[in-house]
Amino acid sequence: MGRRFDAAYVLEFLWRLLEYFQITMYIVAASFLLGMLVGFLVALPRLYRIPVLDRCSAVYVSFFRGTPILIQLFLIYFGLPEWAGRVGLNLDRVPALAFVILTYALNTGAFVSEAIRAGVGSVDRGQVEAAYSVGMSSYQAFTRIVLPQALAVSLPVLANLVIGGLKDSSLAFTVGVMEMTGRARTLGVATQHFIEAYIALSVIYYVVSLVLEHGFRLLEKRMLRYEPHLAGRGKRG
Amino acid sequence: MSFDLGFAFHALLLIASALPTTFMLTFVSTGCGLLIGIVVALVRLNNVRVVRHLAAFYVSFIRGTPVLMHLFLVYFGLPVLIDEVCSWFGAAGVSVRIPLVWFVLTAFSLTAGAYLSEVVRSGIAAVDRGQLEAAYAVGMTTSQAYRRIVLPQALAASLPNLANIVVGMLHGSTLAFTLTVVEIFGKTQLVAAQGWNYLESFAAAALLYWGLTVLIENIAAGLERRINRFAKGGVA
Repeated sequence: MGRRFDAAYVLEFLWRLLEYFQITMYIVAASFLLGMLVGFLVALPRLYRIPVLDRCSAVYVSFFRGTPILIQLFLIYFGLPEWAGRVGLNLDRVPALAFVILTYALNTGAFVSEAIRAGVGSVDRGQVEAAYSVGMSSYQAFTRIVLPQALAVSLPVLANLVIGGLKDSSLAFTVGVMEMTGRARTLGVATQHFIEAYIALSVIYYVVSLVLEHGFRLLEKRMLRYEPHLAGRGKRG
Repeated sequence: MSFDLGFAFHALLLIASALPTTFMLTFVSTGCGLLIGIVVALVRLNNVRVVRHLAAFYVSFIRGTPVLMHLFLVYFGLPVLIDEVCSWFGAAGVSVRIPLVWFVLTAFSLTAGAYLSEVVRSGIAAVDRGQLEAAYAVGMTTSQAYRRIVLPQALAASLPNLANIVVGMLHGSTLAFTLTVVEIFGKTQLVAAQGWNYLESFAAAALLYWGLTVLIENIAAGLERRINRFAKGGVA
């Protein structure tokens, strides 16, 4: 089980892992932004009760919330090219990173759609009626009045999703993407100092989580500055 | 079109043989986690000196790092620690005799414990302070009051969160494959690699997890209805 514990390695690994920090953050950011888009599109049919489509989006959400993300990752990374190959499409040249981001975006999308639904549900009906009464179209009322409020209300949930995405990004190494966790494994194998590598890695994840958490709390405070009764509704993490 | 339903069904049967391992990982770690969670929650709620800071750090660290890190830290770190301690007593090579799955269970229990402590904390906070005072008024000790009055109500209040954690641990148990434990996900990889039918194998595994998740959610909803039968107070 490796060599004797040597604290000096922790410090050294810290720097060497940080070289891969941007890839991890790239995965987190890209999949969250794409996931917001997916989640928004998935939430719409259920918000407006569009027949058939609302059932599809309910099944989509249930599937992505009901299966482990690792299964989703393998289903998409191995399954999609296999299926594409059978119908005559060659996806061999597509980098693993693309599959990872696609999986995480689809996964995040399912959770985002639930957050948006809950957020929209929390906006007072009178807001929509007031928007109509001043002559807004239903599109305007939704994008200008309802959505901004819904987003502000669901910010804590979205913040949790970003932090969750950071933690899930550690699974990308399973399909061969070299991010921080993948790098920590190779450092561990090369030097036989596994525990030092994982201590360094944990420290990085922990600090990034804390920073994100703090940042989102400030953002939430700002977005809810006109609704003091909603601000500071407890902790999240 | 190009989806081998026959193989998917065959894979499902093969994969299902790993169900007991997945169940064991999920429920043992949630059970141990609940014990840890209750202790940590009580320490933090009662502001026990010094230990309270340790508990707060434990919860914040576990919640701020991926489950994979808990697994690796325990798997690579705990044996070193055990051997070090044992060597003081003249025993050598103790850690290699400990089965691998124990380390996995330890790691998952620590993970579940941190998340569950928050669940228990919010559950206890949901119980009216008057309940505890009433228990004291009829002469119960603190331990009796908690065991008989506060904790049962707290558990009822936190049932939906509890179900979420169980589902989270079920999904998290897939990570055990990184340490070569053959649970559902590990088994799926073996099945998939044999026939090069990744699509069907992982679809079958996904179906299995999906079914289990829906089942757990339904059981929790049923339990919640049953437990809240008598709760007809003004609170929602």
